[in-house]
Amino acid sequence: MNAPANAPILRIEGLTKHFGGLTAVDDVTLEFAPGRLHAIIGPNGAGKTTLFNLISGFLPSDSGRVFFAGREITGLKPHRISRLGIARTLQVKSVFHQLSVADNLWITAQAQRGVLNPFRSTTSYRETCEKVERVLEQLGLAALANQQAGTLSHGDIALLEIGMAISAEPKLLLLDEPICGMSPAETARTVAKIRELAQTIEIVLIEHDMEVVFEIADDITVMAQGAILASGSPQAIAADERVREAYLGRAEDEDYIEEPVRA
Amino acid sequence: MTNTLIALAINGLVWGLIIALIALGLSVIFGLLDIINLAHGDFFMIGTVIAWTVLTSTGSFWPAFALAPLAGFVLGAIIQRIVLQPIRNAAALSIVATFGLSMILQEVVRMTFGPTPRRILPPIHGTIDLFGIQYQVYRLFAAGVSLLALAAFFLFLHRTKLGTWMRAVRHDREIATAMGIPAQRVYMLTFGLGFALAALGGVVASPITTVDFRAGVDVLPFCFMAVIIGGLGNLPGTAAAAVLLAFLEGILSSFASPTEARIASLVLMSAVLLLRPQGLFKGLAK
Amino acid sequence: MKRAAIERTMLIASAAFLLTVPWLVPAIADRFWVSVIAEILIWSLLAASVNLLFGYVGLLSFGQALFFGFGMYGVAIGVEKLALGFWPALGLGIAAPVAMAIVAGIFAVRLTWHYFAIITVVFSLIFYFLALTMKPLTGGDDGISFTLPAVFKFGGAEWGFASATFQYFFILATVALCLYALRRLLGSPLGKAFMAIRDNDVRASLIGLNVYWLRLTAFVIAGFLAGLSGALFAFFGRYASASYMFYHVSGEAVVWAIVGGAGTLFGPLVGTGLFILIREVVSTHWQHHALIVGAVAILIVIFAPRGMVGLWRDFMGRWSGGEK
Repeated sequence: MNAPANAPILRIEGLTKHFGGLTAVDDVTLEFAPGRLHAIIGPNGAGKTTLFNLISGFLPSDSGRVFFAGREITGLKPHRISRLGIARTLQVKSVFHQLSVADNLWITAQAQRGVLNPFRSTTSYRETCEKVERVLEQLGLAALANQQAGTLSHGDIALLEIGMAISAEPKLLLLDEPICGMSPAETARTVAKIRELAQTIEIVLIEHDMEVVFEIADDITVMAQGAILASGSPQAIAADERVREAYLGRAEDEDYIEEPVRA
Repeated sequence: MTNTLIALAINGLVWGLIIALIALGLSVIFGLLDIINLAHGDFFMIGTVIAWTVLTSTGSFWPAFALAPLAGFVLGAIIQRIVLQPIRNAAALSIVATFGLSMILQEVVRMTFGPTPRRILPPIHGTIDLFGIQYQVYRLFAAGVSLLALAAFFLFLHRTKLGTWMRAVRHDREIATAMGIPAQRVYMLTFGLGFALAALGGVVASPITTVDFRAGVDVLPFCFMAVIIGGLGNLPGTAAAAVLLAFLEGILSSFASPTEARIASLVLMSAVLLLRPQGLFKGLAK
Repeated sequence: MKRAAIERTMLIASAAFLLTVPWLVPAIADRFWVSVIAEILIWSLLAASVNLLFGYVGLLSFGQALFFGFGMYGVAIGVEKLALGFWPALGLGIAAPVAMAIVAGIFAVRLTWHYFAIITVVFSLIFYFLALTMKPLTGGDDGISFTLPAVFKFGGAEWGFASATFQYFFILATVALCLYALRRLLGSPLGKAFMAIRDNDVRASLIGLNVYWLRLTAFVIAGFLAGLSGALFAFFGRYASASYMFYHVSGEAVVWAIVGGAGTLFGPLVGTGLFILIREVVSTHWQHHALIVGAVAILIVIFAPRGMVGLWRDFMGRWSGGEK
């Protein structure tokens, strides 16, 4: 926290993860400078989502360390890491489907405090309620506030997911394929939101849509077979010969191989 | 002392093989349909009642060996189609439904068969000398039949089309459906098969235990222990666990009361659930 | 009339009915029905404990009878063996199941879904069999009967469960208090956290909720409700028996909760009422009432999977939707 202003927000050192004989993440070392929008790209099975799972404490790493804002977070439980200020969305959109949209945001905002008083009404928390109102306004979901989250359209659920991530007021937001499966209109709306968010929150995103990535990212990291292939500005990546090779002949499919394992 | 120990150990083995048969049905239903079948003990009980009915009405015990599994199969398939198919994908509801089913089956038997427990005399009389003790021939016969049925079931699973379908649906429902396997029919037949296995176990066990409308209540927890310790959905593991557990309880009950032996197996089961939820016999899976 | 107004009217009418039962019921039917209603109220707490875990946290417990039994035995052993008065015995009947719930919960909530359902049955079976073997303490299947201690003594006057009216109101007040506390709980941050875990436990841990601790908390609260239900039932029946710890009792509570409407505050009460009334009404004419209970359970899960309260809500939704 008392790191210098230009210190990396997130630093990964030699992170490795094996699944049986498969090396999903292979000795990855990366630094994310503050104030820049990072994108991680790469073919399916490149280890992108696994990398997110390791950062957010969802999977234990086999070796390597993770530092967030100068503090080591390797091996912490997911809810601890979340409370330190890392929020993330999941590739398969996941919200609390029986709770209302407002309650989804409310519990996400409140969960960060760690104390859940059973003797007070949720409506008595002015600060949290106001934050929920703000996020609803900001995302244009105010009209749907009392609707059950499970009944929303795909695009609205994706927006709600981002809204939940903001409600937690994180320092770092990990977005896993935020526009996957969206219509062009929904995509445009979401991309605009991500841009807006990047003004105040550090963002790292995984995305398949190259057009979007090259449009919004300041830095791009390319992963292949668990390792880092290249890292740099969009122009440098676009010109990189190895990156082109990695993508050539590789049809993109919607196969979610790296979905986190549910206990 | 050693004589009783031997007798209890053999008793345990025999009983374990019968339980293996019943537990296999429970495991198949769980593995394929994702249903915790609380009526499974009653399926067993229905088997014992059919045995008693066949014996009293025809004077012969043997037709029950064909009749009970057949009746169980048909009943099971009908129950799956009418009661469980509408609530597929809702596991909690299916538990409630099988609990209701259990109440109905018990009550129907109490109405028709009556509330008094009855005994069936072993259809094979006589004893033979086994490790120095006189042992009932029928019990050995029961063990043999169970073993044969277990072998037949595994052969069926690996050598027939329906068996292959069942394994495919268990492995991956969606891919199996996409490959053109009629999943719904497989569910129906599987539930029927599970019922048939339990009913067959009931026939085999009927001369050894009592025929009582509440017999299933005692058998059910034991079957669950076998399924858990063997690994949920792991069929060979289930069979192995059933034999092992009954054998251990048999030996234990020479030192302690049967209830204390039961407590010991339940504690073992909790330990397995917490430490090795995939069961003790993971190597046997597939 | 608006939907909210109808529901409020129904609530007030039910409350008025429950408050006048000891006078109203004997006037129109047999006195015996007063104790049936008291029994429904007691058992509804057991169903509520299943509902808290399943309907709001997503854990299906098939072992709540364990805590019910501990509540019963806490009271019975307190009165009969330790010669305690009413309040200390009630305290024991609450403390014992809560302590048990903490110990059992530490292990049980590591597991989810099928595994959780099974381990809760296993725990309750272990203690059921233990209670059977510890005859000198528990009386085994025969159980222990005890004579009622007074609840309040004031000079020469005494109030206690010996008076059916006092007993009824004591039970009604306790159950009403529990339902009110549950309602508050569900509207609190803790309640929202429970529901978040029910909906999506992976996501819940990602937003910073400690899923393990929250599940344990819910398990202990549910243990308290089940234990209190058992403690009240011990006073009500003046005895305790191991047979109430068997898994059938847990199973019935699950059926009551789900048939009434899991995830709703009044669902468990409605479900419990329905089944106990069926039992009492039918069993006087026909001894095979279990047949009807089983059939009703199956019909409700097939045709009204969200329970009777869910059915009511759908009906009201369609009705008020048509009115607009």
